[in-house]
Amino acid sequence: MTKNKRKNGISRLLELSGQSKGLLVFSSVMAIANALLTMVPYVLIFYILSELLTGQITNPEIGTWLVWAFVASVVSAGFLFASGMASHVAAFNILYGLRCAITDKLGRLPMGYLSNRSSGGVRKIVADDIELIELFIAHDLPDAVRAVSLPLITLSYLFVVDWRLALVSLLPILILVIVVPLNSGSDEEQARIKKYHDALEEMNAGIVEFVRAMPVMKIFGQSASAFSKYSDKVRDFDHHVKSWAELTAPLWAVIISFLTNALLPLLIAGLYLYFNHGLELSVLFLFLILGVGYIRPAFKLTTVNAEIIKISQGVERMDEILFEIEEQKGGVSSLPRDFTVAFHSARFSYSEGIDALNDVSFKVPSGTVTALVGPSGSGKTTAGQLIARFYDLQSGRITIGGVDVRDWPMDDLMKHVGFVFQDNMMFYQSMYENILMGADKSEEQVIAAAKTARCHDFISRLPDGYATRFGDKGVYLSGGEQQRIQLARILLKDPPVLVLDEATAFSDPENEHLIMMAVNELIQRKTVIVIAHRLSTITEVDQVVVLDRGRVEAIGSHKQLLERSDLYGTMWDAHRRANRFEMPALNDTPVRDMKKETSPEC
Amino acid sequence: MLKNILYLLNVTNTRLWPVALGEMVHGLFLAAPSAILLIIIWELFEEQPDEGKIWATVALLIVMFVVQLVIAKRVMVKTHHTIFSMTSKLRLLLGDHLHKLSLGFYKKRDPGDLAAVLLQDVSNFELIFANQFQNFVGAIFGTLFLSIFLFFLDWKMAILMLAALPLAFFVMLGATKIAKKYSAEHIASRNETSARFIEYMQGIRYLKAFGLTGDRFSSLKRSFEALRRNSIRLEAAPTPLALTSLVVFELFFLLMVYMAITRLQDPGGATITIPVFIAFLILGHRLYAPLQLMMVSYAILNYMNISVVRIRELLESPVQCAGRDVRPSTYDIAFEDVSFTYVDRRVLTDVTFTIPEKGLTALVGASGSGKTTIANLIARFWDTQQGRITIGGIDLKDMAPKTVYGLISEVFQDVYLFDDTVYNNIKIGKPDASEAEVLEVVERAQVSEFLGVLEHGIHTTVGEGGSKLSGGQRQRISIARAMLKDAPIVLLDEATAALDPENEAYIQRAIQELVREKTVLVIAHKLQTIRNADKLVVLKDGRVFEIGTHQELLEEQGLYAQYWQTQQTARGWRIGAQGLAG
Repeated sequence: MTKNKRKNGISRLLELSGQSKGLLVFSSVMAIANALLTMVPYVLIFYILSELLTGQITNPEIGTWLVWAFVASVVSAGFLFASGMASHVAAFNILYGLRCAITDKLGRLPMGYLSNRSSGGVRKIVADDIELIELFIAHDLPDAVRAVSLPLITLSYLFVVDWRLALVSLLPILILVIVVPLNSGSDEEQARIKKYHDALEEMNAGIVEFVRAMPVMKIFGQSASAFSKYSDKVRDFDHHVKSWAELTAPLWAVIISFLTNALLPLLIAGLYLYFNHGLELSVLFLFLILGVGYIRPAFKLTTVNAEIIKISQGVERMDEILFEIEEQKGGVSSLPRDFTVAFHSARFSYSEGIDALNDVSFKVPSGTVTALVGPSGSGKTTAGQLIARFYDLQSGRITIGGVDVRDWPMDDLMKHVGFVFQDNMMFYQSMYENILMGADKSEEQVIAAAKTARCHDFISRLPDGYATRFGDKGVYLSGGEQQRIQLARILLKDPPVLVLDEATAFSDPENEHLIMMAVNELIQRKTVIVIAHRLSTITEVDQVVVLDRGRVEAIGSHKQLLERSDLYGTMWDAHRRANRFEMPALNDTPVRDMKKETSPEC
Repeated sequence: MLKNILYLLNVTNTRLWPVALGEMVHGLFLAAPSAILLIIIWELFEEQPDEGKIWATVALLIVMFVVQLVIAKRVMVKTHHTIFSMTSKLRLLLGDHLHKLSLGFYKKRDPGDLAAVLLQDVSNFELIFANQFQNFVGAIFGTLFLSIFLFFLDWKMAILMLAALPLAFFVMLGATKIAKKYSAEHIASRNETSARFIEYMQGIRYLKAFGLTGDRFSSLKRSFEALRRNSIRLEAAPTPLALTSLVVFELFFLLMVYMAITRLQDPGGATITIPVFIAFLILGHRLYAPLQLMMVSYAILNYMNISVVRIRELLESPVQCAGRDVRPSTYDIAFEDVSFTYVDRRVLTDVTFTIPEKGLTALVGASGSGKTTIANLIARFWDTQQGRITIGGIDLKDMAPKTVYGLISEVFQDVYLFDDTVYNNIKIGKPDASEAEVLEVVERAQVSEFLGVLEHGIHTTVGEGGSKLSGGQRQRISIARAMLKDAPIVLLDEATAALDPENEAYIQRAIQELVREKTVLVIAHKLQTIRNADKLVVLKDGRVFEIGTHQELLEEQGLYAQYWQTQQTARGWRIGAQGLAG
């Protein structure tokens, strides 16, 4: 995919808004129409005043005017509603689109990126950060339109009535424009603002750590010291926020006082013109009522700016997902004839400099079982995951039936490679859907798979059978039952290539036996790669590949390796010992030397 | 809502009166120019306006402006000072409360969510006073002031204008009611989206493997769609009524104008003077503006109330009773008729058994049978609802939680490591430990075995949550911690040991070192491991099913014997072999 050039700040926000241009233009037009109509009552007052001052009110039409003014205010409210709705609908449509885009993108990223991020962190982006965009599109944009159009309309009307006073009415805003920047530029203020922000950041980090570490601190009897660390940070912030407030208070005092007394220059100039140059009294009143009303809405523009900064930070976090990482592409190759899996000098590293796999080559003939073994960190899990393209190689190739996995369309690859994970994941869906996992299979096939995986019995006992939703009130399955659902999924999918991460802890003595029977059904007539943790389970597979620190150490059958590979021999010994591990009986026996113990073969 | 706000003001000892008074004085200065302006306008309507008097009034306005500048600054500083003190105090109170809560509380609550209460919700509470409070005081005070003034000028017109108030309020109330209804739906669909998304992220390996990512994971897409629909609804439903309340104000203003004009044209002579009418024209709009602002504030306050409620809930969540600092002299543990319900699920029923001092006791049972709950209850994560648990004859509830933690070391599967060095992570077990002591447990817990691989040995930082280490390495650090703590009771999850062939042996060796001379409770998975235990407690569905030694239980031919049989068969299992090898 071509890497989009990333924009940021307001231009990025406008780019996002552009997706619903029509609605937003409509919203703006409505906002301007609303601003125009808000003038009506003022104009009415002006005319009434003129009438009053030119003598008796005799105009019989004044009642009609009032009715029209009311109609105008109703219509104006209607425009406001239309403007607000249009911008909100636009915003929510854009939000919806972005959420779908991010989820889709996340699904196409290599696993490496995903495992490095906490799901809570990404959730925050999708739920909270994206929501900020609504603020901009639904509120800030129409507000900005009103903040610009209302003063413009008011001022043009005022200029038509009396240009001299209209000029004077600009005075307060001019003063504010000059005073505000003057006041906020001093070095001392900059320094204090920085300290304030630092203290805030530190307090935030302190709070997060405090909450996260609390359980551990309690267990080790140190919650009091954790609390004192936390309270220091809160007090520190308290100090800085107050000093910052003291500094900014004068500025705000100036702004508020200017806003409430913005009338003063107009009053002075107006009175002067009235007494000396025959200004009409009604005009003076019009300016007194309307002359400074535009300042407050215009002032909103300054807060919009602060909001945009906050929103942009959220958008940046979102864009990190949307743009930063290259996604995986599939190819267009047609399907291979057989399903022999082969590694050709495969090299892969999770992070620069440290190879997880280096120059790994081996071949798993179609329809046979190969086990990958090795100490932790040897790369056996990585090798298994590479077959399903959870990551892509740095160099070398992995082929299935002679075709590079990167040349397969992603969907086809996923259809032909099955993965049984170490852990279980059940979705908040019906048992039926949990087994089906989007496959195009009939109900009979689902039930048949459930029967083979020994799930059918316990599913039938659930309140709604296969329609029971996992996670609904009281519907939970034991770890062993979940493992069997996972097997049913794979049985149903029936992929020709199977990567099996041999589950280590069958925590459930009741289920262990059933799970093993299901696994043996599953691997019939398939190309199987077992990531093995317990060596005793793989003594009879067709081939064992021993990995050590990312390299192939030896390949052969269990018997051959016992003779040929020192590492395998050591591992086999360690495993046999571990399998015999027994907690010492504490009362009478001292810790036994594990090596001396004799025990039957296992 | 007001009750909650007052509650928080009360617990933080915040005296708002001086601030409110300051805001009122300031409000007076904000409202005064309009009234003074009227003096000028009236003078202009005199047959012969007194120019000197008018200019003197203008001068008065200028003086007021300067005074206001000074007052505004002082009030603002005072207000902010009070508010910031209040928030800081609230954060300290919350922190203090958090450290008195039971460990079980932390199991239930997502730490991110807790941090949000301390950060976001407290900030929202602060905002109520930083913004909305002024609006409210200003609105109430300004309206009162202007109403009295207008009433004095012409009571009939004043009443007409004020009549808008109950009507607009009534309409607004309707809008709030509608908003509340749709808010609930909106919040529900937000939570649903969150939950589905977390599920998507956690299950993404599975979804990828089944080609179900993006649009094809329909439950997530449906939740996005529902959120969009509910968001629009929440916006669309209450807005017409809210806008109607604004129109109501406009209507009454126009009615007032109509009334004034009719009275000016009264055939029996005008019953109102033009200056009074002008006063109403000018002040009328100012009467309504703060009220409209207040209605907006009311909507925001309703929203902020959610934060206030969350803060209050946290502050009121029950703390574990402190107990006394009594240390038992022996460490035998006894469960007497203990029943425990977690949320609405009965987890343990009438559990009675003893754990002998310096003996090895193992809990055996299917997943969900209550093994982990028993271990958690001994560590006082939660307190029992029925029955009692004693250590050395002393009821756990009579001991301070801190004392209980001091007696216990735990080695469980979820290990929390700080983003600090290996050395410091171990030292947490005993903060005043000497370097020699730390190095000794490093050796005994087999941590030294992997130190050579790390860049800076024992002074390597482990990354957030220990991300730079393997699971087995993290386990050994947590065992070293427990060793250093050297507590007389050890709670151990045996699955901890089952990682991969090489690590398994090391961890097992470390565990054997740890449990020497201790009272040990093991949550067992591999029955082979605990064959030598002094006592096996077999659980089924939260009840004690049988108790005995390995030999006794085998002879009994009960549940344990059955488990043992299955595991013995399973051990002979081979992948690729047809059927099961014996």
